Amino acid sequence: MRRCMGEESVWRPVNPALERISVVANERLAEGVGLVTLHAPRAAAGVLPGQFVHVRISRGTDFILRRPFSVHRVSGERIEILYQVLGVGTRALAEKVAGEEMDLVGPLGSGWRVCEGTARALLVAGGLGVAPLGMLAEELAGRGVAITVAIGAPREERVLARNLFERVARRVEIATDDGSCGLRGPVTGVCERLLSDGSFDIVYTCGPELMQRKVATRAAAVDIPCQVSLERLMACGIGACLSCVVRTVDGMKRACVDGPVFDAQQVLWDPTETPPEH
Amino acid sequence: MTVKLGGLELRNPVLTASGTFASGREFADFVELERLGAVVTKGVSLDPWDGNASPRVAETASGMLNSIGLQNPGVDAFCENDLAWLADVDVPVIVNVSGHSVAGYVGVIERLERETGVAGYEVNISCPNVDAGGMAFGTECSAAAEVTRACRVATTRLLVVKLTPNVTDIVQIARAVEAEGADALSLINTVLGMAVDVETFRPKLSRVVGGISGPAIKPIALRMVWQVSNAVSVPVIGMGGIMSADDAVEFMLVGATAVAVGTANFIDPTVTMRIVDGLAEFCHARGIERVSDLTGAMKA
Repeated sequence: MRRCMGEESVWRPVNPALERISVVANERLAEGVGLVTLHAPRAAAGVLPGQFVHVRISRGTDFILRRPFSVHRVSGERIEILYQVLGVGTRALAEKVAGEEMDLVGPLGSGWRVCEGTARALLVAGGLGVAPLGMLAEELAGRGVAITVAIGAPREERVLARNLFERVARRVEIATDDGSCGLRGPVTGVCERLLSDGSFDIVYTCGPELMQRKVATRAAAVDIPCQVSLERLMACGIGACLSCVVRTVDGMKRACVDGPVFDAQQVLWDPTETPPEH
Repeated sequence: MTVKLGGLELRNPVLTASGTFASGREFADFVELERLGAVVTKGVSLDPWDGNASPRVAETASGMLNSIGLQNPGVDAFCENDLAWLADVDVPVIVNVSGHSVAGYVGVIERLERETGVAGYEVNISCPNVDAGGMAFGTECSAAAEVTRACRVATTRLLVVKLTPNVTDIVQIARAVEAEGADALSLINTVLGMAVDVETFRPKLSRVVGGISGPAIKPIALRMVWQVSNAVSVPVIGMGGIMSADDAVEFMLVGATAVAVGTANFIDPTVTMRIVDGLAEFCHARGIERVSDLTGAMKA
């Protein structure tokens, strides 16, 4: 099987730094989902698709840890972050208004790896999994890569970043749990069909871990390399605390510095999860 | 700004708390390591340890719970990678030593005695996240004394013993460890705690219980540093929720000779530099000549 390892990627990361940032806009996209635009010139200049920033949302002492967010898009000196309100941190983020200041540590982590010669890519997103794939789609399109995108969501209003993908992709397929948009059913079904009738050089996926695992299994079945972006609870974000570990064939890896993007074949999926259907 | 720990003179009293700073390399983009009093490394054991299952952390009010479980690649890999990297950095290195048995602790020290570039050891008898060893040695005077005695025989380098707050009387443990020849004491390690997810009814940590760190535990840590430094004659390294220079001053006023910054490194990776600068400014603004004058200077 062809593989695209880090050293072959056409992109090179820059060193992370602590950066003061300010909110440019904070828009509610759907129930519990928002898009915040941040003025973050250093991160905007250096971030690679699939990398994340570690944001200190509150300087209070009620909650103290940073929150990691994939960079969804870059526009000039601004970065965009897609978020879902899940706890105290994202609730506080949803309440931020233009002009408010925060800071971030970033850009962090390994991004998506792109090999020279990649011509056709399949991007598979589940729910908020569109977050790290937006910038990737734009960058791949800029390199002349033909992109197909499959987006899965619970219902139509939660199909995120559709406009972005429709702008840069050859083809966008949507699947919703309730059938309110696109096909009814899981995005993994769409993925399977696309993999069987199209030939791709690479599959990039992000979403719920079980979904990513299924996508990876299907990609492996047709001998196409697959990169996954894994989410873990994280404290430091820079490789020190060992909170965000991922079991891999090469031992314990840290999602924050060795990932969040991993070659799917490297990952030893959580044995407590349901095995994927074949 | 210098302080003395046993025979070791540090350029300032600001250390890193074990397990929050790896071996410093991860912070090289954010910190001038040469400006730290010392780097205290992540716990090192004789053989590689995998650590605990995920989730290993949970955020709590003004702090966090962790149950990492001392994941580390073992002392040989530590020497090959971490110590080799630190050899080019002009900062004293204190290696945190972990074990499942007395022989395990001693084995790590004996291996490290063959290496240059180790200024001393911090013996971890206080980790709440491992089944055998760890805190089991730190909650009973005789066991704490036994580990200390064996480690003392193995080295003439600085020997620090790190104590747990999860005991009825930390002063008794401190005295037992001092009596066996510890050069200094580190306190406190994390406070045992837990948290439950009310949506799933499941504990937030895979191991159910873990250690609380961060500002939430600072008052407990201060009280214990005050008690212990009044009861022993060896220097105390104070830690537990230090986020700022003022927090560091507070620990010194109650009796700490040096301080260690832990969880704050996760929140602001540059925090140790701010504390080093802030301590100097604090003393300068008040005409305090030596930072060591702060130690035990709390007024009645």
